[in-house]
Amino acid sequence: MTAAVPDISLFQLVLGCVFILAAGAVSFLNGLGLERDLLVGGVRTFAQLFLLGYVLKFVFNAQDIRLVMAVFVFMILFAAWTIRARAREKQIGLFWPTFLSMLLSYWIISYLVSGVVVGATPWWRAQVFIPLGGMVIGNSMNAVAVSLERLLSDLRGRRREVEMMLCLGADYREASREILRNAMKAGMIPSINSMMAAGVVFIPGMMTGQILAGADPLTAIRYQIVVMLMIVGSTAIGALLVLMLVRRLCFGAAHQLLLRPKGG
Amino acid sequence: MTGSVVIRFEDVAFSFSRDRPLFEGLSLSLLQGAFYLIGGPSGSGKSTFLRLINRLEEPSAGTIRFKGRPLKDFPPPVLRRTVLFIQQTPTVVGGSVRENLSLPFSFRHNRGLVRPSDQELRARLDRFLPEGVQLEAPAEALSVGQLQRLCFVRGLLLAPEVLLLDEPTSALDERSARIVEEETERLCREAGMTVVMVSHRRFEPRMVEPIRVTLLNGQWSEGA
Repeated sequence: MTAAVPDISLFQLVLGCVFILAAGAVSFLNGLGLERDLLVGGVRTFAQLFLLGYVLKFVFNAQDIRLVMAVFVFMILFAAWTIRARAREKQIGLFWPTFLSMLLSYWIISYLVSGVVVGATPWWRAQVFIPLGGMVIGNSMNAVAVSLERLLSDLRGRRREVEMMLCLGADYREASREILRNAMKAGMIPSINSMMAAGVVFIPGMMTGQILAGADPLTAIRYQIVVMLMIVGSTAIGALLVLMLVRRLCFGAAHQLLLRPKGG
Repeated sequence: MTGSVVIRFEDVAFSFSRDRPLFEGLSLSLLQGAFYLIGGPSGSGKSTFLRLINRLEEPSAGTIRFKGRPLKDFPPPVLRRTVLFIQQTPTVVGGSVRENLSLPFSFRHNRGLVRPSDQELRARLDRFLPEGVQLEAPAEALSVGQLQRLCFVRGLLLAPEVLLLDEPTSALDERSARIVEEETERLCREAGMTVVMVSHRRFEPRMVEPIRVTLLNGQWSEGA
């Protein structure tokens, strides 16, 4: 049933570099100035993925719950750090609310998918928990970043409207309800779109990998469906938690908007 | 006509940046039912002064009291609808004039208030917008002057005890400005509402004796 995974030799791997060299040549000939980024990106891809390979090999061999959880927490730390760096927000501390809400929501989802849906034993089995957790974090991270940026820019840009409602007796939730809703929507749209287009416009990456590795397409789609639902679920829960926590930080005890216009 | 102290500042300090305080040790009392007209150069903190009273800004030191109790004793939404601040720039939400007028009554803390009937809304609108504006009209289609008056009507529907007005007539022509000013004077004289108005316009109230105040370099001086 399972065909042997065709191995990629080191030589073939180097052949793969032709693609990036071609991209570099196009950039050079057209003066796009992307050569440097392509080089750095290419080298990082090699280095990071090789490193990941060795780490995973080590973690899979050890099969220690502490190690698996440490990898999981590290991935979320890195995601929270990336989001904070992307938002470039000076007034509100984003790191802890982002980290804590992602940790909580992604852990619950990864646990449910790994332990209940896939039925791994034990539930933290490294080969299942880490790849699934990684997909949850990687995909939801973008959604969280997008919704956060939208929340902060709308609270700044629509300050007068928020204060108008506060002045008329709204609490901070009521005064920012629509802004929260829009931020949530902005974060969710990409994953909803990819659900709509799944299998028609593209063959999802995970499924591609499984099929290349020789899995039956009907098994592969089951995994893919679970993964997509899991990503949408974790995106929704993670983004909502982060947004609610950060929104609270944007208002003071008197439900006054603390967020000042940028550069003001 | 005027009576007890309604708002009291005790050694209030406020600053936007650490090195440049706007107010320091500001102490003053506003009397119930009085009509305050605040002047002063821009940047002297007139708007901030109003915003401190309804807690859109919080002092860095000192206490502000409403009817003898620190502002912190009141739930902020209840304080804000009782000590009502009307923004300088009129702001509405998408939707009809009616939806905008009933917006405050959709908030949780205002549920106990009676939602005004169409008839009542109509009557209020006619007083402030005699040119005739339909309740069904989209609010965003109104002119700035009309919006300013619409926001004024919307605030008054909450029957506040203190009215904080930030340049309420800045976008209005002479005739509309007089409507707003006269209505404010009337509210002060007949309903005993305390009015604190920041205004650049030279304005001589006819029905009330205003207390003129100048805010300059963080100092409050009456009778200037």
